[in-house]
Amino acid sequence: MKLPDAIERVLLGEEVIAARVRELAAQISADYTDAEDLVLVGVLKGAFIFLADLARHLTVPHHVDFLALSSYSRGAVSTGAVRLIMDTRASVSGCHLLVVEDIVDTGYTLDYLLRTLRARQPASLRACVLLSKPERRRVEVPIDYLGFEIPDVWVVGYGLDYADRFRTLPYIGALKREMYE
Amino acid sequence: MGLQDDVAKVLIPEDVLQARVAELGRAINAMYTDDNRPLLVCVLKGAFMFLADLTRHLEMRHEVDFMEISSYGAATRSSGVVRILLDLEQNIEGRHVLIVEDIIDSGRTLDYITRNLRTRAPASLRVCTLLSKPSRREIDVLLDFVGFEVPDEFVVGYGLDFVEEYRNLPFIGVLKEEVYADNEQ
Repeated sequence: MKLPDAIERVLLGEEVIAARVRELAAQISADYTDAEDLVLVGVLKGAFIFLADLARHLTVPHHVDFLALSSYSRGAVSTGAVRLIMDTRASVSGCHLLVVEDIVDTGYTLDYLLRTLRARQPASLRACVLLSKPERRRVEVPIDYLGFEIPDVWVVGYGLDYADRFRTLPYIGALKREMYE
Repeated sequence: MGLQDDVAKVLIPEDVLQARVAELGRAINAMYTDDNRPLLVCVLKGAFMFLADLTRHLEMRHEVDFMEISSYGAATRSSGVVRILLDLEQNIEGRHVLIVEDIIDSGRTLDYITRNLRTRAPASLRVCTLLSKPSRREIDVLLDFVGFEVPDEFVVGYGLDFVEEYRNLPFIGVLKEEVYADNEQ
C-alpha cells in the first residue's frame, strides 16, 4: 500500500479498526437488548464512516439520525464554542440516545452535544467514540464506548480530515508534523 | 432476529453489493484526477452507508459534503420540491460535483436537487446512484454511475429504510408485503 506523501505512518490499519468496531457493536448490542427506541446520533462530517460500519454490526433495532456541528475558532485554536448547524430530524425525547463521534480531543464538542441532548430528556444518553486523545482534554466528558486511545498526533482517515483532505482513507494515519505545525 | 424476518427475499447479497461498489469506485477513479478532483455530495440519510464504502475505494484527491432534504409531503410530490434541511458547507462554483444517492425512483427529487446545484455554477455535475428503479421514472434524469437497476419492489437495507427501520442491513432486501401494506415507497 502506498501512503500519500503527507502521511507519516499508519496508526490503525483497516483490519484493526474493523475488529474493534465489531467488538464495540457486540457490546452495544448486548447493552441495549431490551431498550426500545435506540437512536444512533451520528455527528457530521467525521463520524459517517464509523457510523456506517458500526450500525451494520448491531443486532438490535435502532434508528439513525444526524447532527452537524461547527466549532468557532480563532485561527487554528478552538475557542470551545460550538454551533449547531443541523439538528436531529426526529424528536429524541424519551429515546435511548447513543452519540456516535469520530474523535474526542479537548472534549468541548462532546460536552456541548451531551448537554444539548440531555436537555431534551432522553430515556438515556451515552457516547460511542472511535478515538480519544486524553492528553488534549480540557473538559471531562464521559465516554461509554471507546475504540482507541491515541497519542497527540494529527490523525486522518476513516472520516477524519485535515482541511477536508484524507477523510476517506480506509485506515487511520498520522499526518506528518510539517503539514500542520 | 426480528428485522431480517420482515424481509421476503435478499435482492442483492452483501458480497455482490460490495463487489459492485468497488467497481463503481474504479469507474469514478477513471473519471477524475487530483487536478480535476470531485466534491462528493451525499444526500442524507439514505446514501451514507453507500458513501462510506464507495469513498474508501477512491484513489484521487476528493472531498465529501452533505445535504439533508425532506419532502413537503404528498402535495408537492409531483414537483419534486424538497426542503433543504442541511445545505452544503462548501461553495461549489467551479467544482466538479458528484451527487451520491441511494436510489432513484421517480427522478423528481434528483431533478430538483440538480437544478438547485446547477444554479451555483459547478464546473461539472454528475450523479452516482446505488439503485435505480427505471419502471418508476416520471422525469428523465441523467445517471452517470448506476450500481443496480432494480424492479419496482419495496427495497430496504444498506441505508434504505422503511419508517426508519432496516437501514443497517448489510444487503438489499425486499420487504414483505404485510409489513408495508398501505404505505408507498
